[in-house]
Amino acid sequence: MDSMRRNGSRPGARPRLLIVTPDFPPAPGGIQVVAHRLAAGIAGMEIEVIAPDSPGAAQFDAASGLCVRRVRGGGMLRGGRNALLNLVALAHALRFRPDVTLSAHIVASPAAAAIRRLLGARTVQYFHAEEIGAKPRLAAFAARHADDSIAVSAYTAGLIAEVAPSAQRVHVIANGADIPGDASPRAVDRPTIVTIARVEERYKGHDVMIRALALVLAKVPDARWVVIGEGSLRPGLEQLARSYGVADAVRFLGAVADDERDAWLARAHVLAMPSRLPAGQFAGEGFGIAYLEAAAYGKPVVAGNVGGAVDAVIDGETGLLIDPTDPLAVAEAITKLLGDGELAARLGAAGQTRAQQFAWPKVVARVEALLLAGVGSSPAGGEAPAPEAGRASP
Amino acid sequence: MCGIAGCTEDPEGRAVRAMCATLRHRGPDDEGVHTDAAGGVSIGARRLAIMDLPGGHQPLCNEDGTVWVAFNGEIYNHPKLREDLRRRGHTFSTNADTEVLVHLYEEYGEAMVHTLEGMFAFAIWDRRAARLLLARDRFGEKPLFVHEHDGELLFASELTSLLEVRPALRELDPYAVDAFFVFAYVPGPDTIVSGVRQLPPGHLLSWERGAASSRERSWWTPPQVGVRRSESFASVAAEAKLLLDESVRTRMVADVPVGVFLSGGVDSTLVAVTAAEASSQRLKTFTVGYDTGAVNETERARAVAERLGSDHHEVTLTQADVAERAPAVLAALDQPLADHAAIPLHALSEFARPRVTVALGGEGADELFGGYPRYRWLERARRLQSALPDVAVRSLAGALRQSAKLGPIERASTRLAPTPVLERNLDWVTSERRHRREALYGPRLTQLDRGHVLASLATRAGELDGGTAARWLMHLDQVHYLPDDVLVKTDRASMLVSLEIRTAFLHAGLAELAGSLDTSMHLAGAGKALVHAMLPRDIIPTTHFARYRKTAFRVPAAEWLRGPLAPVLRSQLERGTIYSEGFFDRQAAGRLVREHAAATHDHSDQLWPLLSFGLWADRFHGLDEA
Repeated sequence: MDSMRRNGSRPGARPRLLIVTPDFPPAPGGIQVVAHRLAAGIAGMEIEVIAPDSPGAAQFDAASGLCVRRVRGGGMLRGGRNALLNLVALAHALRFRPDVTLSAHIVASPAAAAIRRLLGARTVQYFHAEEIGAKPRLAAFAARHADDSIAVSAYTAGLIAEVAPSAQRVHVIANGADIPGDASPRAVDRPTIVTIARVEERYKGHDVMIRALALVLAKVPDARWVVIGEGSLRPGLEQLARSYGVADAVRFLGAVADDERDAWLARAHVLAMPSRLPAGQFAGEGFGIAYLEAAAYGKPVVAGNVGGAVDAVIDGETGLLIDPTDPLAVAEAITKLLGDGELAARLGAAGQTRAQQFAWPKVVARVEALLLAGVGSSPAGGEAPAPEAGRASP
Repeated sequence: MCGIAGCTEDPEGRAVRAMCATLRHRGPDDEGVHTDAAGGVSIGARRLAIMDLPGGHQPLCNEDGTVWVAFNGEIYNHPKLREDLRRRGHTFSTNADTEVLVHLYEEYGEAMVHTLEGMFAFAIWDRRAARLLLARDRFGEKPLFVHEHDGELLFASELTSLLEVRPALRELDPYAVDAFFVFAYVPGPDTIVSGVRQLPPGHLLSWERGAASSRERSWWTPPQVGVRRSESFASVAAEAKLLLDESVRTRMVADVPVGVFLSGGVDSTLVAVTAAEASSQRLKTFTVGYDTGAVNETERARAVAERLGSDHHEVTLTQADVAERAPAVLAALDQPLADHAAIPLHALSEFARPRVTVALGGEGADELFGGYPRYRWLERARRLQSALPDVAVRSLAGALRQSAKLGPIERASTRLAPTPVLERNLDWVTSERRHRREALYGPRLTQLDRGHVLASLATRAGELDGGTAARWLMHLDQVHYLPDDVLVKTDRASMLVSLEIRTAFLHAGLAELAGSLDTSMHLAGAGKALVHAMLPRDIIPTTHFARYRKTAFRVPAAEWLRGPLAPVLRSQLERGTIYSEGFFDRQAAGRLVREHAAATHDHSDQLWPLLSFGLWADRFHGLDEA
């Protein structure tokens, strides 16, 4: 029995896609961006999204025109919220009868697996990175119960292979970038380093940035570091900046609107986010959309030479990859880019050219092709694009 | 490990040589003085050779001889720094860690301190800028004493050195004596004499010829903003273990044998386990026990050593040994210190010295990771106090005091009494000595403002600033008790026998991680939850943690004061200068000694400070007479 017959034949209708995600705008974050760009960009499918409620969600959904079912789990612990998300997704699927379920995060994989079993809907599972290290058993379950899996980088694909060695159909499709209409640099009075990341996970390297900044200021006394992103680590980092005597050179902006973030990218001289591999089983940066976003503005980046960042940044061509645990190395890379305008411009220009290849429409098209590849045949038997080896491309 | 000294009005280096002579025990292997006659500045060092045994002569300089350094301590990340500096074109003439300092100074100026992982106090003389830079490590592991007068600067690793060349400074500060009696140590930045101060931990001092005064600033303070986060305990524990592994691995690098001081407590056990993992050779472990009293942790240490398969050595500190050692050590300490554990630590260092030159220790874990039970008790008391109406709290405390003879209830009443948390903590850790001053003080101390101790403590503690009481007290211990007692004891007791103790937990990244965590994470279970989480279960079973909670080397002080040290106490009463000079009242102290000797009371909490200060002061005044 093929999936169309199981779900009721609808000749001529667009295939139905159910996106189940624990992260969706207006909440900030990389996974949120991925889920949103796919929901907004896939044109050949009828799409519904199951996502948690969050402050400002109603206005966001109304403005976006997307069909988003919000799950209210306020006051619940994270585990309870995820369980509720899965239950609501399953209940909704019984009515919506999707042809394909896209699980944007492994915590949504139980619902996707159940929908696959009950309705025969094809399942595609997204993998980022950190969640694989944090929940390896769930990640293995998700990989086993998906028809196809998407890894956002070669690094992530390697993590999947570690927890689910039998997972066969893993496709590396890198995250995308929004290409700005106007990427011209804006005048700025001080050498400016920007970091864009939620201030929630240690591995993003804000702490190393503070240690490095003390050394950067020895060489570039008027440099400043602008931190975009909010999170529970912020008070501690603000205190750490005071402890290191660099507080006057740091601005924690918190979460900002997209246009303000873009304005800072236009002003920045360098984007630095030295993401490292967390200790133990915790996997860190899967790709790092922020690197591409900065590249789209023609800015050179400083990134860790580990994890998914090595797919997002080409060392010496679009940015500098350094040991992210070493403040001296971070400081040296930043200082070099602040002090050598020619080098910064060359890396920035190369990054900008490369970012075009990662424009969201291209990434979305690739994901859409994968989603549709199995529709019309048996759930596990569809032909999908061949897995990609080596560095990710859109 | 060394001792350093310097002076800005010493063009021929005479004063600096004299100071270096008093630092011989800190650095028995070598001495050097650099004089800049034109600048009027001399800096010097005595050296205990641990790195680059033949090539580490100090002071040493950069490529063109314009930047000189005198250095005390260890830079654990110096191989990495050396590699970076070489890549930047710097040329090295030695393999000593000291040499990275001059090149780092050229590269980063004052900001160089941020690159250093280690324990240190150093002086850099920049001839071209006519500028002297003094720096002290983050936690205050290495000492640095400073005297400034008429725009000139004099500094040394020990107070005694400064007094050697400036006898006029040998004037005891009565407020420092008062603080010493209350705390059992002299809280920095003050010293026991009024004309000398300490450069605080994590501070820099910059002096320039012609400037009105020197400029002192903080370059690092222990973070203390702990916030509740969604990250798992397991991920935090994994990161902490990674940092501890790095700390131990880098601290084991030396050109001399390295061992571990194993008390049998959780902290030193974790250090030993980590060191054993990092070492390709059989680990040497050392512990100390006693022949009197109920305190003896050698069995636990031996059990850990057996599990690790270490080459374990035990020494028993006998009463006969205490009778000789304690007076000598207490008198020889640079400043008075009434921490009992200085005696066994000195004995252990002396015992280990023929076998190792460097030993790893577990100091600092209690302060960073919430190891003291009072953190939890005082946090609970504060919560209770804020939950109940004032009148109810006062009534409860009053009722508890009425039944104070019941022992445990007396302790509970103290802990729950409606007094500010800072005072409650002070009375807890000092056995309420501030309330016993009136009876014991002599005429030199009776006129002092009694509120001075608490006021200066409050200044050091800073504001509670919205955090928990436990966080506040942990921070206070990190900036007060740790540098001024624990690390003074560690440095002086080991340096008296030329052995270097390296503290595995006092690692910048580890401290910053610990400081960023919510105290509930630290205080979960039996407390010090992260340390427990890092310890393999086959070393200490989880169910046994409570028994292993005690740390450091505990001491049968009460028994010693009745036994081997009783004659010293009596001699002090008869001839001690602290009585003849009017600091303490001989009659009142005599009553305490008699009651303690008769075993009707345990006055060791007061008698040990009196004995320590008395022996120290006799030497001090002896110097004075000389």
